[in-house]
Amino acid sequence: MPKILAIEDDPTTGREIVTELEQHGFEVEWVADGRDGLIRAVSGDFDAITLDRMLPRLDGLAIVTVMRSTGVDTPVLMVSALSDVDERVRGLRAGGDDYLTKPFASEELAARLEVLLRRRATAPPLTQLTVGDLEIDLLGRVARRAGVDIKLMPTEFKLLEFMARNSGQVLTRTMIFEAIWGYHFDPGTNLIDVHMGRLRRKVDRPGQPTLIHTIRGSGYALNPPEQPWR
Amino acid sequence: MALNSRFWRTTPFQLTVLHGLVFAVAVMALLGLIYARTAGYMTRQIDAIVLSEAHALAKPGPDGLPDRVQAAVKADERAIAYYALFSADGVWIAGNVRALPAGMIPDGKPRVLKGPAFLPGARAVVLRLPWGEQLFVGHDAKVLSGLREIIVEALLVSGALILVLGLIAAAALSAQPLRRIESLRVASQAALSGAVGVRLPVSPRRDEIDMLANLANAMMDESERLLWEVKSVGDNIAHDLRTPLNRLRALLYRVSQETSLTPADAAMIEQALAETDALLSRFRALLRIGEIERCDRRAGVKPVRLQEVLAHAGELYEPLAEDRGVAFSIALDPDAPMVEADADLLFEAVGNLIDNALKFTPPGGTVRVRLITLAQGPRLEVADDGPGVDPQERDAVLNRFHRGRRTLDTPGSGLGLSIVAAVARLHQFTLTLSDAKPGLVVSLDCWPRRLEA
Repeated sequence: MPKILAIEDDPTTGREIVTELEQHGFEVEWVADGRDGLIRAVSGDFDAITLDRMLPRLDGLAIVTVMRSTGVDTPVLMVSALSDVDERVRGLRAGGDDYLTKPFASEELAARLEVLLRRRATAPPLTQLTVGDLEIDLLGRVARRAGVDIKLMPTEFKLLEFMARNSGQVLTRTMIFEAIWGYHFDPGTNLIDVHMGRLRRKVDRPGQPTLIHTIRGSGYALNPPEQPWR
Repeated sequence: MALNSRFWRTTPFQLTVLHGLVFAVAVMALLGLIYARTAGYMTRQIDAIVLSEAHALAKPGPDGLPDRVQAAVKADERAIAYYALFSADGVWIAGNVRALPAGMIPDGKPRVLKGPAFLPGARAVVLRLPWGEQLFVGHDAKVLSGLREIIVEALLVSGALILVLGLIAAAALSAQPLRRIESLRVASQAALSGAVGVRLPVSPRRDEIDMLANLANAMMDESERLLWEVKSVGDNIAHDLRTPLNRLRALLYRVSQETSLTPADAAMIEQALAETDALLSRFRALLRIGEIERCDRRAGVKPVRLQEVLAHAGELYEPLAEDRGVAFSIALDPDAPMVEADADLLFEAVGNLIDNALKFTPPGGTVRVRLITLAQGPRLEVADDGPGVDPQERDAVLNRFHRGRRTLDTPGSGLGLSIVAAVARLHQFTLTLSDAKPGLVVSLDCWPRRLEA
């Protein structure tokens, strides 16, 4: 069971984080103070950390900076009410692995944490990704389903690669937009759905088992047929 | 230059020139008075001289009078006097004037002596002697005409001096206020173009300009305070409401994950989720506008290739156009110059423009994205052939939440164009809505707007 350290001074948000993450099967320890948070963070007992940007006694940026300079590489998801781009850049530059703006939908937090945990687990560089009968050749930039080449546009390939790297996990529309297009605003309407629809028509041909699943109310997931979603 | 053309219109300049004119008139009046009084005095003097000389010549009687006249002529070494003796019927007998000058009457009253042979101001008298002869005595007014020359010269010189000195003084006096007005103008223009915290300069003099500047500064303080209050109220509401909305959404989401739901319940929950998402996206957009408006103007500004931004945005939205059955064309001038801008914000603006155009274009319509180069800089345009926006509504649609009447049945937060407007304002770019006949064309002029001086 992955262990998560939540450093968050706002009691309401803290309780929400704990509830949501426990529902997703994480073990959560919650610390409300910056200095205690840093002491727990450098202990190395955790698989990932959610870190509030503004904390009493010790600032979130300072915590992540100290962690990285002492060689602690636990993935850190920065959570902050400061949403402008500069803040995000500062947080990521200090050593944060992802940045989420408050208030957030709680499943967004869980989804991002799972991606961070997964990224850590699959650290060695891969040349090939496999999900069910879908193979993605990362060097040749080709995707094959049941041995048949899928013709993909560069963006579609990036999208499929991102989903395959995080297969079995819910990816929210915002996460997808940030990861593939690199922008941090609300793309609005059903932009991501349309892109996903295009990709899906190419990946899941009629008669083939579904790999790309729509997760109602949250986003998308790429799942092997033997483990259909829920 | 703008400064020079305004120079003549400044109050100090005009006041000084007016002052100079009044002074010049006063000097002229003074000199004229001196001249008039002096001339009157000297005329009376000359009159006394000619009368006394005439009487002195006549007094001894008719005997030897022609000789006395000749002697008097001789004795006048400076040649400023005229003496002549005429018979009763006007025939010349003796003296240095051969005929009685015009206008002279033998009545013993001194008169002006007119004629080309005499200096201006000369005076003369004609006496009819008891024995019938006429004695003429005249006197040139050399001193008087000299004095007149002096005074006219003085008038000319002093007039020129007053003019030159007055202009120099006027220029010098107006330069300082002009500099201050100029700095006030620069500061007000910065404030007008949205710079926050700019105040008009106040000098330690505490004169009337400072009084006005202080007043304007107080007004700016107050309006800035109100602006921030309104903004932060709006942003706080959006922020505060977002948290419970997120909780509501989380709750609905959890319910939607229950397997025991009947399909009808599930559909209703799904719809409630969609509505909540729409609300949340509206709040996000509202907060986003606040964020953009609060942005530091310099942060993130770099030279940007608009072609890249537009091509990238086109690639992102092209599938959406296809999905909606809308033709999507993109034409980019490869030579359009780079602009100083925040690329991410610009992308967001362009994305919103394209999204908006796609939203309001019926299936079968066309959305055209263009980048063209004008003399002042590059202009990007997004045109649709949807219902368009009424001319009188065009300003209003750029405000938060406004939606055109023709488009009330189309879903959306109504905030897309407001985000674009906020981005345009931040960059001092000009956002214009016009008629695409049919449809709407939104153009963004990507060069900093200069305010009229």
